[in-house]
Amino acid sequence: MRLSLIFCLIFCLWLTACNQAVNKTQSQFTPEQFAAMKWEEVVARARGTTVNYGMWAGDEARNRYFQGAVADKLKQQYGITLKIVPNSDVAEAVNKLLNEKSAGKNTDGSLDMIWINGENFRSAKQAGVLWGPFADKMPNIKYYDEQARTSDFGTPIESYEAPWQRAQFVFAHDTSRVPAPPKSIEALREWIKAHPGRFTYIAPPDFTGSVFIRHLLLHFGGGAKKFQTGFDEQLFQTAAAATIEYLNDIKPFLWRKGETYPATQKEADRLFANNEIDFTMNYGPSFASERIERGEYPATVRTFIFDEGTIGNYSFLGISFNAANVAGALVVTNYLMSLENAMAQGKTLGTLFPLSLNLISPEEKAAAEALPRGVATLSIAELNAHQIPEPDAQYLARLEKEWAQKVLQK
Amino acid sequence: MHRLTKIIAAIVTLSLAVIPVLLLVIWSFGKAWYWPAILPRAWSGRAWAYIFSPEANVGAALLTSIAIALAVTAIALLLALPAARAIAWHEFIGKRVLLFALLLPVLAPPLAAAMGVHSLFLRYGLADSITGVVLVHLIPTVPYTTLMLAGSFSRFDPNYEAQARTLGASWLKTWQYVTLPAIAPGMAVAAAFAFLISWSQYLMTLLIGGGRIVTLPLSLVAFQRSGDEAITAALSLVFLAPTLVVFAIVARFLRDE
Repeated sequence: MRLSLIFCLIFCLWLTACNQAVNKTQSQFTPEQFAAMKWEEVVARARGTTVNYGMWAGDEARNRYFQGAVADKLKQQYGITLKIVPNSDVAEAVNKLLNEKSAGKNTDGSLDMIWINGENFRSAKQAGVLWGPFADKMPNIKYYDEQARTSDFGTPIESYEAPWQRAQFVFAHDTSRVPAPPKSIEALREWIKAHPGRFTYIAPPDFTGSVFIRHLLLHFGGGAKKFQTGFDEQLFQTAAAATIEYLNDIKPFLWRKGETYPATQKEADRLFANNEIDFTMNYGPSFASERIERGEYPATVRTFIFDEGTIGNYSFLGISFNAANVAGALVVTNYLMSLENAMAQGKTLGTLFPLSLNLISPEEKAAAEALPRGVATLSIAELNAHQIPEPDAQYLARLEKEWAQKVLQK
Repeated sequence: MHRLTKIIAAIVTLSLAVIPVLLLVIWSFGKAWYWPAILPRAWSGRAWAYIFSPEANVGAALLTSIAIALAVTAIALLLALPAARAIAWHEFIGKRVLLFALLLPVLAPPLAAAMGVHSLFLRYGLADSITGVVLVHLIPTVPYTTLMLAGSFSRFDPNYEAQARTLGASWLKTWQYVTLPAIAPGMAVAAAFAFLISWSQYLMTLLIGGGRIVTLPLSLVAFQRSGDEAITAALSLVFLAPTLVVFAIVARFLRDE
């Protein structure tokens, strides 16, 4: 009796699995066909389809926003059903595409579009698992300047991904503990030496820890500009030597004398919240405000950046080489790039405004600058004025290796 | 004296079981909990509000998890019953080799096996489907269920079956009135194991389900990695609930014996 029930259940599941056939001929086409197509036609072909969007899903507010406001909007305006395929690391989604490619699954892939950037974009583009070129043909690309369209960590974008979000590295401190944080690399060195055990950084290759040492590399190499055009061995050698020297100089004064480092963002955040260290760092400028809101940090926490600026980057949306629904993915991507979404997202999530302030009207600019932001978040103007572009991705890998050999193991 | 030890043992066991759960409850409602506060300085229903909100899709994940675990349990038992019977009652050439082969998926990391079948599944359209996830969950479950049931069968004298058949019972009746009642407790434990193994799979579900099949562990890990303690704790409690139900059912079976 019980068994037969279970069998019924299995049968039902199987039926629903089979039932997921979609009308694909309309919504699948090549980049060449897209280039010759009017945008209205893309929108028309996307109507009534479902888009599978591979997205990092570790943030409650963000999940709510996408499953709620964005999904509703897409449904109303374009008749598109947005289905979030959650991942806890973008690399998972890229690996999935690589697997599908090697298994010869060239159509009807499981993901239509993914949120991607940096090293993941590099490997995805090299392996040919991205659909494109398409980004420069998107209507809303008009809001993004050259910086957002040319290179992603030194990898030429060549229209294979579309910009839609921006991030910038910030430090957080608790004003009740450290009222005046050090705002330059040398001031930080002195602060660390004067306060032994109260500073540490996340061990690379963690994303955030890696940005911190990368910033030092740019600083000692004489500015970010030199690091934009390919890999220069000579430049790397001198800049890396100075970076390693700095890191070894502060090492004995770090938390636990630099014998160990927090391995993840989460660990560093805990150390900070538990008053074991006085600073934490993050690649999201609004992270501290979110944590205050959630009650994880005291309300006296604020963020700050170096006077010389901090590294910032864009993140992008890519379309899968085997997307079952290209039309839908294009429409969703274009919506996420829009001024409307940037404003709505800024309002609900407090994310950094990604559009170029020079490419929108003065009224729109005023509205963007007036967006409410969390108590601990710096203003768009201040962040914009202090943004340093990411170096070529090859520097990143080399520096992480140097760090492991000459700082960690020393 | 003897009673005292009993009471102490009971208290220790109970607190070992209850304290972690209690901590999870505190975490799930806690706000502003940092050193040196012993209890959170403020409380909030944010995590639970999120979990019960339609955007969180926790209900769907829960149903998917339960459906997969039930299907895995049923299939694992069906596969294990004849195999266990043969292993327990019959001597045949290569039995030890077979036992070793049976244990292999447990000895080798099941993930290795899963990665191997992934490309195969992709080719046959089983990847990203519930069917595929159920199949891959069978890799770590079938060995356990088979070995446990083999234990039950070996403690049961096959002559009872023979006797029932001599007395004119059909094989179905024999199964229903003789064999099944004898191995029922073992079956209940094996089923519980199969359910729990499937229930707690993360990597294999992620790999074969490709993120399209969202079970509870998948959402749990996403929040755990991002460091949202309150939601992680609340989801952990949701994750825990069905396992308690399973244990309650198994406990009943064992008592009936």
